[in-house]
Amino acid sequence: MEKKKILIVEDEASLHESLGEFLSAEGFEVLNAYDGEEGLAIVREKKLDLVLLDIILPKKDGYEVLAEIRKDEEMKNVPVILLTNLESAEDVQKAFEKGATTYLVKSDYKMEEVAEKIKETLKK
Amino acid sequence: MRFINDLNLKKQADELGVSVWQTPGFLFIVLGLVAAAVMAATFYLSQNYGSPEVLILSECAVAILVLTVGNSVIRVFEQMAKVNKMKSEFVSVASHQLRTPLSAIRWETELLLSKFKKGLSEKQVKNIESISLLSARMTRLVNDLLDVTRIDQKRLLMKKEPVNVSALAEESIAEMSDLAKSRNVEIIFIPKKNMPKITGDREKIKMVMENLIGNSVKYTTNRGKIEIKVFKKDNSIVFSIKDNGVGIPEEQQNRIFDKFFRSDNCVKYQTDGTGLGLYIAKSIVEQSGGEMWFKSVENLGSIFNFKLPIK
Repeated sequence: MEKKKILIVEDEASLHESLGEFLSAEGFEVLNAYDGEEGLAIVREKKLDLVLLDIILPKKDGYEVLAEIRKDEEMKNVPVILLTNLESAEDVQKAFEKGATTYLVKSDYKMEEVAEKIKETLKK
Repeated sequence: MRFINDLNLKKQADELGVSVWQTPGFLFIVLGLVAAAVMAATFYLSQNYGSPEVLILSECAVAILVLTVGNSVIRVFEQMAKVNKMKSEFVSVASHQLRTPLSAIRWETELLLSKFKKGLSEKQVKNIESISLLSARMTRLVNDLLDVTRIDQKRLLMKKEPVNVSALAEESIAEMSDLAKSRNVEIIFIPKKNMPKITGDREKIKMVMENLIGNSVKYTTNRGKIEIKVFKKDNSIVFSIKDNGVGIPEEQQNRIFDKFFRSDNCVKYQTDGTGLGLYIAKSIVEQSGGEMWFKSVENLGSIFNFKLPIK
């Protein structure tokens, strides 16, 4: 079976290392982007199975990236899990309005649980 | 006494962080002096000149003066409100900034413990485990601080969903069972069926229960017993937790819901904590339309209760 392709859009390099390595070990193919524009370019270019998206990002924030993904005919169906440290009700609501598939607060989740959520989302 | 205190402008200025001539007290004195001077002047003018033009002119002058002083009073209040808002924003931004490196630490340690455990010695695993526990504790502290700022700003948003309190109590107990086992404390709970649901924020009510259970476990020494009951009383569901722990000294009982308050027993029994748990718990219960109360006897134990209305 081919490996599922996951993109991590995150400006914090150490989170790429830990989460990227963890997810690779779980059997995913992991791609990395460090700002919103780079992330969007990769989503456009590669056929991805899922995107993990931070909200506070350089160049384009997560909401903008999400809105552009959902507007585009080719990309609009890719599941997007927001993975951020913002956790106010306003942020969560805004994310779902823009079309987030799931919303996870980083500091509340272990990577194991993030991986679980990814697998659940991919099954749907 | 209060009046004299209000006149201590230097102190007021220091407390508010503004200069003396900007304190509300000073400005009100100016306002009073202006009013008195104006009355005297108007009286003098009407006695000596008596023409309506002079009177109208002097009244206009008064209006302008009052508006100018009044305006600076308002500006000072605005400035104070701004400073207060900035303070809360600072706590909130600082907490968010702390969470990013904290999640990084937690994930790095998780990676080591889950995927690279084979290469580690037993001692190393223990060390990494304690890093993991400590960073989890710090994350909780940061989360508590964020909740407190939200409560203080009246911005803590609560969901409105149907909640089965008895089932939620079972879940909370299950989450706390490891802690209870590690302290050799037994938790007794017999769930009741067919209880009416309440309307509230499930996650937040669960947080309140876990806080109370956590406290009971932490302050109950070896072979302790905790009894939890959930029952219907009048138009409310009551959650009650009784322990045979160390209790709270009587003279400190009226302060336990204060922010950052920690009883002497915390120090004595070396439990970790921030002194924010009960403050947050009580605020959540009250914001859900309920009440929280307790009874405690030192060395015998405590009973904590909260009730939530059935809507």
